[in-house]
Amino acid sequence: MSSCPCCSGRSFEDCCGPILAGEPAPTAEALMRSRYTAFVRHELDHVERTHAPEIRDDFNRGEAERVAEESEWQRLDILRAAEEGDSAVVEFQIQFRKDGKDMRHHERASFRREDGRWLYVSGEVNPKGEPRRVVKVGRNEPCPCGSGKKYKACCGK
Amino acid sequence: MEPRFSCTACGKCCHGWLPLTLADAVAHAGRFPLAMVWTPVRQNARSYELATRLGATVRLPNRKTVAVLIVPTAYLPTSHPCPELREDGLCGIHEDKPSRCRTMPFYPYREEKDQADLLIPRKGWQCDTSASAPVVYANHAILDRKDFDRERGDLLDQAPVIQRYADYVLKYMPWIVDELAKLAAKPTGGNLVTSLSSFLTATRRPDAVEIAAAQAPLFRAMAERTRDDPALRDYHRNYSGWAKEMEALARRK
Repeated sequence: MSSCPCCSGRSFEDCCGPILAGEPAPTAEALMRSRYTAFVRHELDHVERTHAPEIRDDFNRGEAERVAEESEWQRLDILRAAEEGDSAVVEFQIQFRKDGKDMRHHERASFRREDGRWLYVSGEVNPKGEPRRVVKVGRNEPCPCGSGKKYKACCGK
Repeated sequence: MEPRFSCTACGKCCHGWLPLTLADAVAHAGRFPLAMVWTPVRQNARSYELATRLGATVRLPNRKTVAVLIVPTAYLPTSHPCPELREDGLCGIHEDKPSRCRTMPFYPYREEKDQADLLIPRKGWQCDTSASAPVVYANHAILDRKDFDRERGDLLDQAPVIQRYADYVLKYMPWIVDELAKLAAKPTGGNLVTSLSSFLTATRRPDAVEIAAAQAPLFRAMAERTRDDPALRDYHRNYSGWAKEMEALARRK
């Protein structure tokens, strides 16, 4: 039993192993982890077949093979994972060494489930934070603090 | 005084990078190790308007727009002669040589009226510019313009493909915009290099596998030739990496 390269703390056989072998990933996060493990193990077929059809032709297999081979994969951290029905967002950071330099890859990736299989759709590298939303509270609306009073009679005084 | 110019076949300009039209790059893919060279052209540059038509336009993080020439290039170190330059200093493929070699010393990436300084031989070049050489450029116009027009025409025709490639790179390698911004801010300009594999993938050429198969051994050989020269470390790293990329692409069905 070897521990899974994706840093989940589980064994490879209980984690990314079955997914690399072709089983559907139970969650988008599990698929993301297995795609990382595919790079570590130079099993790029898995990366390629888990691309959404519309981006499949954009995959530079030659470069991916080279990156997989030349990099020393150090760790994967899942920073955030959220699923809603058949779509999901997984934000992650990968630490690796290439050409003698420590590198980080930070990406917010979007996934879609098709026929029970999660697929990688797109990614934003070095994503910007979600825009901050400011909600204006009307003076006569209930106070957002939950007191039950009007805003103007409570926190908005 | 009208500039005069005659080539003496000294072979001095047959060294280092050779920018190619896309058609020439493909036709000579078994001869030159290829890379894509990006050169930002600022809005205040004389050749800006032309560069927007030959290359791509990119919006930088500072909200300025630059034109970027993206040119398939025979990627050789400055000190390396063209692989077709013969011992006697003549061209081994004279009849089939690329447009770029035919049009020298003129340069269709610049406006025709802005070519005069290109007729001044660079240091060490033995071009004949004496009174016995013919007049080649008068009133800001090229007299024998056949090669210039052909190269310019090919560059204009390929511009949509170049723009598509730029869109692909900006989507999948977004950090390149920061590098372009840095280059555009430098008074001396500059360029950056991307791989042929990214171009083959982006443009989905049906002949990508054949091109990759032709390129792989060239990159291997160049990696070998540059291995022990510390000054060419970046070249060596690119050649070895691209050799692997081309081998992987060539294995695709």
